Amino acid sequence: MPSFVPTRPETLEDQRLYTQARLVEVSCLDCLAKVGVKKNSDHHTSIQWSTEALAACPEFGRRDPETGRRDVHKACPRMMASIEAAVRDGIVPIGAYDGY
Amino acid sequence: MSGLCVPDQNYNVFYMSDTRLLDQGSAPQRFARGWHCLGLASTFADGKPHAIHGFGSKVVVWQDSNGQLNALDGYCRHMGGDLTQGTVKGDEIACPFHDWRWGGDGKCKQIPYARRVPLRARTQRYETAIRNDQLLVWHDPEGSKADHDILPPQLPGLDEGEYTDWVWVSQDIQGSHCRELIDNVVDMAHFYYVHFAFPTSFRNVFEGHMATQFMQSKGRPDKAGGYGSAELFLKSEATYYGPAYMINWLDVDYKGFETEVILINCHIPTGPDSFILQYGITVKKPQGMDDKTANFIAKKYAEMFGDGFLQDVHIWKNKVPVQNPLLCEEDGPVYQLRRWYEQFYTDQADVVPEMTDRFEFEVDTTKANEFWQAEVADNLARMAAEDQEPAEASAGGEPPIMSGT
Repeated sequence: MPSFVPTRPETLEDQRLYTQARLVEVSCLDCLAKVGVKKNSDHHTSIQWSTEALAACPEFGRRDPETGRRDVHKACPRMMASIEAAVRDGIVPIGAYDGY
Repeated sequence: MSGLCVPDQNYNVFYMSDTRLLDQGSAPQRFARGWHCLGLASTFADGKPHAIHGFGSKVVVWQDSNGQLNALDGYCRHMGGDLTQGTVKGDEIACPFHDWRWGGDGKCKQIPYARRVPLRARTQRYETAIRNDQLLVWHDPEGSKADHDILPPQLPGLDEGEYTDWVWVSQDIQGSHCRELIDNVVDMAHFYYVHFAFPTSFRNVFEGHMATQFMQSKGRPDKAGGYGSAELFLKSEATYYGPAYMINWLDVDYKGFETEVILINCHIPTGPDSFILQYGITVKKPQGMDDKTANFIAKKYAEMFGDGFLQDVHIWKNKVPVQNPLLCEEDGPVYQLRRWYEQFYTDQADVVPEMTDRFEFEVDTTKANEFWQAEVADNLARMAAEDQEPAEASAGGEPPIMSGT
């Protein structure tokens, strides 16, 4: 049973727009990880990993579980480089629609 | 649809159909699964029963003869007596009503006036753990065994005496669901408006049971209180380990004096729209500084972050819940954070990968900071002008001179 229950059906559409819309698949240039990427501007990046992508990433696999609990905010530099390349190649468009 | 008018049931007025409506939704009927901090362990270690309001009830906490802290539901399963007003007898908590004796394992050990204890005399027990000098309890409406793998990390150096004593504060919050507190993890802009700081860099990552905010900020020179001050720079890494326990590592640079501060921000839900907020501060003792001075610094930081929480509380008390926040491009990932938070309110078997899959979000702070810098410059200029007015008036009514900033 869902816990925070929306009372309007439009809210479900909002949830979809903000979490899923406009995600573009980007493959890592170094491993088999594939993530969903959205860039609302040059400085904004949204990256959705999946269980499979995380398991494929050697960078995260090497991370020490002890320090990893503090370092969870650190990105995989290989994936960041792959996303930058995808942006340069025009695979990931830059720009937002209506706040999403 | 535009142009049509539809009646709004809540307010009995007509809005255009393209008017954005707030969906306040309904609060969950359950409390989150996970580790919850009840306070500093030392406060429970005096051989007396302690009452902690939580999870729609009361929890009784006491220390047994082995030094172990125990936590049970606060009401006796016999006739509902309040165990928190009972007495510790041996290793057990004795009910003030009929002296039923309950052990830390949740079983009734003894009823002094009875031949035997009923076999079914088991009450709700909370598994406990000590982390960072604090007592944590596992709560799960499904009654699962505690998951020790997802306990918050032990802070290195704490047991080795490298940090000051904790300054610990507890505050009862009425009229807000604790998700309001969680939402702050992604709320970049409120740091400027509510806490008087410019976030210059802001990033969120959610993965598994963890949700992180990484932020760099500087204080607003046009504001005092909160984090307002031109000479205050913060580098902050804040991670929720589960639904209710955050460790916030703060590198603070105030007037060139660097301090490593650790803030624990934790809460216990008490009802559908109330919770107890607790926060603790410790400061890494600077080399060569005596403990008294270091403890004084910790107390000062506790006051500063306490002010920060009060600024939040004022907002929460007066706002409404929103299930469908309307976001702009500069906002953080509220929907993804709430999707992460949902895992703790879902039966373990129904947790779906979207709730726990890694998600990273870098907020673009450039436009916000351009605007805020200009706004603060205007405020400073106006303040400077206002300060000069009285003096100039007495000097003969010269027009106020704007400062150069």
